[in-house]
Amino acid sequence: MRESGVAFFSSLTLHSLAMAFVVGINFAVALRLVGIAPRLEISALCRFYAIHWYAAALIFISGAALLLAYPAKALTNPVFYIKLCAVVIGLLISKRIQSTFLNKPKISIDSASIKLAYISIALWIITLTAGRFLAYTHSILLASRFY
Amino acid sequence: MIDFLLNFSQATGIYAFMNSPWGWPIAESIHFFGLCLLIGTVGLFDLRMMGFANEITLSELHRLIPIGVAGYLLNVITGTMFLSTAPDQYLYNPAVQSKLFFMLIAGINMLFFYATTAADVKSGAGASPVILRAKMMAGISLACWCAVIVCGRLITYYRPPYHWCLWCLSTVSSRSN
Repeated sequence: MRESGVAFFSSLTLHSLAMAFVVGINFAVALRLVGIAPRLEISALCRFYAIHWYAAALIFISGAALLLAYPAKALTNPVFYIKLCAVVIGLLISKRIQSTFLNKPKISIDSASIKLAYISIALWIITLTAGRFLAYTHSILLASRFY
Repeated sequence: MIDFLLNFSQATGIYAFMNSPWGWPIAESIHFFGLCLLIGTVGLFDLRMMGFANEITLSELHRLIPIGVAGYLLNVITGTMFLSTAPDQYLYNPAVQSKLFFMLIAGINMLFFYATTAADVKSGAGASPVILRAKMMAGISLACWCAVIVCGRLITYYRPPYHWCLWCLSTVSSRSN
């Protein structure tokens, strides 16, 4: 992974593309829940979660490949764990919103769902920011420095 | 051009901010946030036109587009910050040139869509079929924005980019001669 330019670059690119779709779809659903485009059917909008879960799987596969390339760089950086926690909690909230609204056109949006939407937006902003800061905050690049 | 951009960056305080300890990653985070807003609004609209989730009324989904425009403006502002702070790293970088090319195609495609097709598409009811021309425009738009993300990654990853940039090969051979 580390020495193949194509493999590393492909993982990096897929990670960015998949992240854009996951975060984008979560933003769209969250924005609808907080009151933007109120006539847009939230149950129908949740259909996009089908794409979202494929993209989420791609995030973990490409993320694991990037982690394998530079394990010490990520595992010794607290920002990596912040990103990981934000992604996992964000996806759990996505699952909750999906199971609440998908294929239920009559259901109304309650205050708990609106709170979840705000938390979701915050978590995905934390994920994006942590992802970018990962490249600037590591103190160790390779485990070989310990030998 | 480089001097003009650097003078602009220094006069506006952009240069000082971008060279502060966290200036560059903050700008990158906002840049990617803008791209996600674009994919979450324009990208979903494109997917809907291509036939996904076709029970959604396009005119209602279109109400999210101003959020995507706001995301695009964030990208333009932060992109200008990158370009003006390190113009020599960007102006001659083929990944930037490719990115701008795909943005141009996406822009022309969007203008063509609003000039010829948008009214028909938005007047359709919930599950009404989308005409082939609109589907093709949606495919071009989505492909262009995905290419913009890929080129964005290429900017920092491959330098020099001679093994993927076909139009750089002539530069290499002329330098070696």
